[in-house]
Amino acid sequence: MSTTTLRVKTPPGFEIDGSPLAPDALAAMPLATLERFGLPAGGETVAIGDLFDVSRSETGSNAGDPAPTLVIEGQCEWLLRIGAGMKRGTLRVLGTAGDYAGAQMRGGTLAIEGDAGHFAACEMRGGRLSIAGNCGDFAAAARAGEMEGMTGGTLAIGGNAGERLADRMRRGLVTVGGNAGAFAASRLVAGTICVAGQVGDHYGYGMRRGTLVLAHAPAALPATFVAGGRGFDVFWALLVKSLSREAAPFSRLAPDKLPRRYAGDLAVDGRGEILIVA
Amino acid sequence: MSLPRTINGTVIDDTFAEAFPMKATRLVITAHTPIWARHAANALAGFATSVIGCGCEAGIERDWHADETPDGRPGVSVLLFAVSTKELAKQLERRVGQCVLTCPTTAVYAGIDAATSAAPLSDDAGIGSRLRFFGDGWQIAKMIDDKRYWRVPVMDGEFLCADTVPTVKAVGGGNLLLLGEHIDATLAATEAAVAAMRKLQNVILPFPGGIVRSGSKVGSKYAGATASTNDAFCPTLIGLSAKSELTADVGCVLEIVIDGLTEADVGAAMTAGIAAATALGRPAGVVRISAGNYGGKLGPYHFPLHRLSEGIEGSRTP
Repeated sequence: MSTTTLRVKTPPGFEIDGSPLAPDALAAMPLATLERFGLPAGGETVAIGDLFDVSRSETGSNAGDPAPTLVIEGQCEWLLRIGAGMKRGTLRVLGTAGDYAGAQMRGGTLAIEGDAGHFAACEMRGGRLSIAGNCGDFAAAARAGEMEGMTGGTLAIGGNAGERLADRMRRGLVTVGGNAGAFAASRLVAGTICVAGQVGDHYGYGMRRGTLVLAHAPAALPATFVAGGRGFDVFWALLVKSLSREAAPFSRLAPDKLPRRYAGDLAVDGRGEILIVA
Repeated sequence: MSLPRTINGTVIDDTFAEAFPMKATRLVITAHTPIWARHAANALAGFATSVIGCGCEAGIERDWHADETPDGRPGVSVLLFAVSTKELAKQLERRVGQCVLTCPTTAVYAGIDAATSAAPLSDDAGIGSRLRFFGDGWQIAKMIDDKRYWRVPVMDGEFLCADTVPTVKAVGGGNLLLLGEHIDATLAATEAAVAAMRKLQNVILPFPGGIVRSGSKVGSKYAGATASTNDAFCPTLIGLSAKSELTADVGCVLEIVIDGLTEADVGAAMTAGIAAATALGRPAGVVRISAGNYGGKLGPYHFPLHRLSEGIEGSRTP
């Protein structure tokens, strides 16, 4: 199976739309064609060959994985929408990524080994997006004017998340290894969000349904959440089993140790839950 | 016509069982303790001996250890068979709603893995999607690992239930008829066969204790009756019924009905049953083993006894 590698030559100094860089689409192109392929940049297009050194290797190491792999090497905060709408294959970014990484992603794996910008995994539908570093605001959220944020798949953030994490998210799993900014899980329709560190102000604001798992007890609980709710042992056992594949501390949760549960946001539907493990 | 076959002196008739396509699913019921999983499974599979009058045929497949189940609690799997996915869904809603939702600490999961099922997949049947309304608005849907569950508040906590379960195209109505000298011998042989068959997965024996004494034929002299007693195998009708297939040394006939997820599963269970019954053999009073069919014109699945009993120890073909 082929691995196509794009190594950044020199950052262009302006933003470029990286959404055409889909692993399966690029794997089907001869290298010469690929180098001439234009990426949108405002009203202009920029050839891939002008931005990247392009190489390809055919290896047997991916024999068990028929999906092609695309590797982008270098700091790419200028490259927007990496993996946006991606359906299959593996896309690895060995560096930083710009805004909208994994937006509306439907399948495959997008692994960013540095930081990502705003709106990472926004309106994501499926697949897995992992960000080893930090990400900006509105991760797994909805774009302005859209009704639903993430509706499927998994977003795993190793570092900190910005504000409005998972705003209007409806389905899927988000894990944050560090802290989350203000308004985490705001207007959450459903889905599961796990934060290992601290959450900022107004977390769970307007939360209708869904689950917010906090590994650290917050300094204060929202006034519109009510303590209580027991007897959710079976659901907790299922969730813990599912999280065992994610990074610590979520992989180490105990199925027989129920977290403290708070239900809300009572200002809206009120069927959401904050589960505090600590 | 092949030569007559005997195994340990028990005659194996040169005939076949005739079986039919059905729709089936597997439910995994878990509970706080194995006892409560059993209570729920027994109630769910109760009054489910025949599609003729029960709507479905159901039975307990096996116990599940805690490390096998989705929620890490002990469980029991139940197989349910019906004539259509629509009827199966109706029975699932009723039976899970009345027998599992009501039973303390239980949860219900789909037991058919669509990715690995050997039986061809059919439509999904809703369970939680229908029973969720019991929650009166307090219920919550939850997606975990691409599976959708419903969490319905109940007085001991939450009833957690799979939204839908896959159904498969399965096989129902495999059967064995065990002909013995008297009730003791026939019952002992049939119980041995049932015990051997129940060790296998993917099959159930839906009648009480796995055994049925009222084998039936299609039709009746009475208008409106779709089935009536199988007079060809009734020992009191030897010499009376022109269709009697019994000899004077047969004093009792018992039947085992087998439903399985695949044709191979039913065949394997029949082989295991024949082997167990004939291990006792003619000295224990097991005269013959036969099977019920309709001439081969109604059911697409045929299970010839001679083929299924090939290789069983003690087999002789003179």
